[in-house]
Amino acid sequence: MNTFDVIAVIAAVFLSPLVGGLVAGIDRKVTARLQGRYGPPILQPFYDVFKLFGKEKMVCNYWQIFCAYMYLAANILTVVLLALQSDLLLIFFVLAVGGVFLVIGALAAESPYSQIGAQRELIQMLTYEPLIILVFVGIYLETGSFKISEIVANYHEPLLIALPLLFVVLGYAIVIKLRKSPFDISTSHHAHQELVKGVMTEYSGPYLGVIEISHWYETVFILGLCALFWHTNLIWMSVLIVVTYFGEILVDNITARLTWRWMLPHAWTGGLLMSFANYFWIYAKIK
Amino acid sequence: MVDVLIGVSILLPFIAGLLCFIIGNAKTRAAIIVTTGVVLTASALMLFQNGPCTYTPETLLGVSVNSIITFFDFALLFIILGIAFKLGNPLVILLTLLQIVPLAYFELKMAPHVEVAPAFYIDNLALIMNLIISIVGSLICIFGIRYMEEHEHHLHLKKSRQPRFFFFLVIFLGAMNGLVFSNSLLWLYFFWEVTTFCSFMLIGHDRTEIAIKNATRALWMNMTGGVAFVGAIIAIFYKTQSVEYFSLQNLINHSPEMTGFLLFPFALLCFAGFTKAAQVPFQSWLCGAMVAPTPVSALLHSSTMVKAGVYLVVRLAPGFQGTYLSTIVATFGAFTFVTASALAVNMSNGKKILAYSTIANLGLIIACAGINTPAAIIAAILLIIFHAVSKGLLFLCVGTIEHAIGSRDIEDMRGLYNTMPAVSRITIIGILTMMLPPFGMLMSKWMAMEAAANIPWVVVMVALGSGLTVLFWARWAGLFVSGPQLKEQELKKESAIKATILTMIRGFYPNAKWNDPASIKIPLVLLAMGAIVLSMAVPWIYTILVEPVVASYRPGLFVEPFKMGPFGLSSGVGAFYVLPVFLLSIVAYLFAVIASKKNGHRVVSAPYMCGEQYPDPSQPKFRSHLNTWRDYLAGNVYLQEFIGESKISYWINILSLIILIVMFGEVVR
Repeated sequence: MNTFDVIAVIAAVFLSPLVGGLVAGIDRKVTARLQGRYGPPILQPFYDVFKLFGKEKMVCNYWQIFCAYMYLAANILTVVLLALQSDLLLIFFVLAVGGVFLVIGALAAESPYSQIGAQRELIQMLTYEPLIILVFVGIYLETGSFKISEIVANYHEPLLIALPLLFVVLGYAIVIKLRKSPFDISTSHHAHQELVKGVMTEYSGPYLGVIEISHWYETVFILGLCALFWHTNLIWMSVLIVVTYFGEILVDNITARLTWRWMLPHAWTGGLLMSFANYFWIYAKIK
Repeated sequence: MVDVLIGVSILLPFIAGLLCFIIGNAKTRAAIIVTTGVVLTASALMLFQNGPCTYTPETLLGVSVNSIITFFDFALLFIILGIAFKLGNPLVILLTLLQIVPLAYFELKMAPHVEVAPAFYIDNLALIMNLIISIVGSLICIFGIRYMEEHEHHLHLKKSRQPRFFFFLVIFLGAMNGLVFSNSLLWLYFFWEVTTFCSFMLIGHDRTEIAIKNATRALWMNMTGGVAFVGAIIAIFYKTQSVEYFSLQNLINHSPEMTGFLLFPFALLCFAGFTKAAQVPFQSWLCGAMVAPTPVSALLHSSTMVKAGVYLVVRLAPGFQGTYLSTIVATFGAFTFVTASALAVNMSNGKKILAYSTIANLGLIIACAGINTPAAIIAAILLIIFHAVSKGLLFLCVGTIEHAIGSRDIEDMRGLYNTMPAVSRITIIGILTMMLPPFGMLMSKWMAMEAAANIPWVVVMVALGSGLTVLFWARWAGLFVSGPQLKEQELKKESAIKATILTMIRGFYPNAKWNDPASIKIPLVLLAMGAIVLSMAVPWIYTILVEPVVASYRPGLFVEPFKMGPFGLSSGVGAFYVLPVFLLSIVAYLFAVIASKKNGHRVVSAPYMCGEQYPDPSQPKFRSHLNTWRDYLAGNVYLQEFIGESKISYWINILSLIILIVMFGEVVR
């Protein structure tokens, strides 16, 4: 570990929640404007979380607390591994740990709402996980490595040029991972789509705050993945991130929630077809 | 020394099995089983300490070993023929005759008394298998002692049938050890048939109608593999006209110009491996084997039987490296992985989930063998090790739970943590070691994926299958902890550190007693600890055990695919920091435990039911129409309408048959 790594880890652990919270604030503001409202201040997510931490601790079952913290830990670890430019598949597997503990925590409460939310979250994981692996395999086929550090060191073109279709697949996966409409199936942040908050129903007070912060890490991780598609130039990287995230917000606001019965087959067929098309592209170029 | 150890590994179980069969006294039998287990474990460890070796036994009690094996080979086939006539099953009769006649022709006319030197070739792969069989297998047999007592108690048998049960259970271990040590194809075939026969007897042990039906299915499906095996033996001789290739080592390390001749026998042997490993379309025999008492399922699934199938394929893999056979084997394995995972998702029967997950993981191992790079072979061997431990553990857990609650349905395991905390905790450990980093199964899966990345359709199937795997495991683990907070679980005044230490030892529910007898507790605890400790030791297991296997496969050509670094393994294409991730996971775990055990004000509330919940939070009720209290319950999503077992099994079988036909079509051409 050199100094740069240490700085990267510290930044990942401490700056990510700030960035993630800000992104959430901007998200809410833009969403409000799209809906013709004025919207909350940009810092509102932070106020919300502070308020959550001041509330009474309430749980149905101690497992919820354990799972909330495991969810947080796994998400921090994914961001740290991303900052250390580690192996893409390893990062992916650690990401899955977070998802699994969120689900176990939701299943721990006997509430039918959170139970159904947990089942739906599992199906969302089932939907996006293969898609993300397909994207990573595409990156490997193009660059010859799963290690981010080696990709950054040895590959000198924006990945977006070689893997445009896989970027679309990633975008698809991100909507599902971030639980944005139309795939906010396990829990929705739109009051008009869901009154009882699915997988989060039984989390409240400080523990909901923990989940919220974990979600910020998740957002940073997702943006980091997008950044990988234009790693050669900082400006274009930022443009790519902003455009992608704005696209996600737009989709979030102009679509209505779909059922998992629609999501699963469509995301898989669409994702598979596009991935294979892109793989052929890579092969054709090599040959 | 080596001869004694090999003799102990193979013959002791046969002798102990006979003793179990003769001696009616339960206590003596238990003592014999425990002693056999201990001796087998010791001999496996000593053999491992001794390192790779070869050995050719000349005579046993004055008779040539080769003749003994030939004699018993035919004796066994005739016994099976007799059973087939008794069952009145023309298919089994036909399949048995298809083995007896060609084998007799081979022995009498083609190549009488083939002597292969060395008869036993014990490299690191064989040593690893020997360790798994002797340790995990023995623990399962020990678990069986008490389990079968309870089992027969439930069945109200007049006369105990345990002698017969343990006879087959224990000799299974000997046959497996013989199978992995043998270098002679003919000897391998003998042990292969012994495992088929033992599994038939054990699956049908309870003699219910369904047990006999499923046992017969297991028999005929495995006999197809046996026919393929005999076919391979004859094909090798027919194509090469020499007995040289009856030595597995010569068969694998054949000269390049022989590849064309040997590809067909290789395909036949792989087919035999597929049937034994219950790959699609033969998955139904392993699922049907669930009717047997739990120790049988645990043994078949973890350390024996199905592992014989993947062992053979992994063993042969270097022999067909770089051929289209290899690619098709990879495709076939990956196809089994994704389809069996999909089938596991729509099961609510815990044992069937385990069964399909076994089939899926074996598929992944076979896919790795087919990918056939050094990294892939390493992944396959690591998968064999970790899968044996975790899956053996999970079967024993489900068996214990089944005896306690009278059901193996996972919906009935809802909230089991409140009533059976210890067993539930161990089951959750078993589940997590199957699916999450930093545990060994996932580590191996990572290696498999990186190895598969160059064959896009294989990696796609592995990716889809891996997503499905997470679904059914996570949901099962979650169900265990689903339930109200009990009064006994309320916190006492104790420091966070003390609470944490207690939690690590006794879980979240420290006052609960674990009442099971030692013969059930010890295997469960040892296997659970083994699953965790082995995962932590992955870098060392890799360097000491697995790497030499691959290095010996390709002397001279071998490039170390993974390097042992200060942080665990790293490879050319990726890096997996096992130890740091393990460390961080432990820190995260402790942190989470401290957070949830910390003293302080905390309200335990009932779940949200729109303000209509029952006053007592421990009762899942809500106020319904006419002011009545009604129970609420949520069930799992099993995706029946998409991938219902009855719906897709047909198509899975057809597709897998097509892959097999393509495999043979290509090879014959």
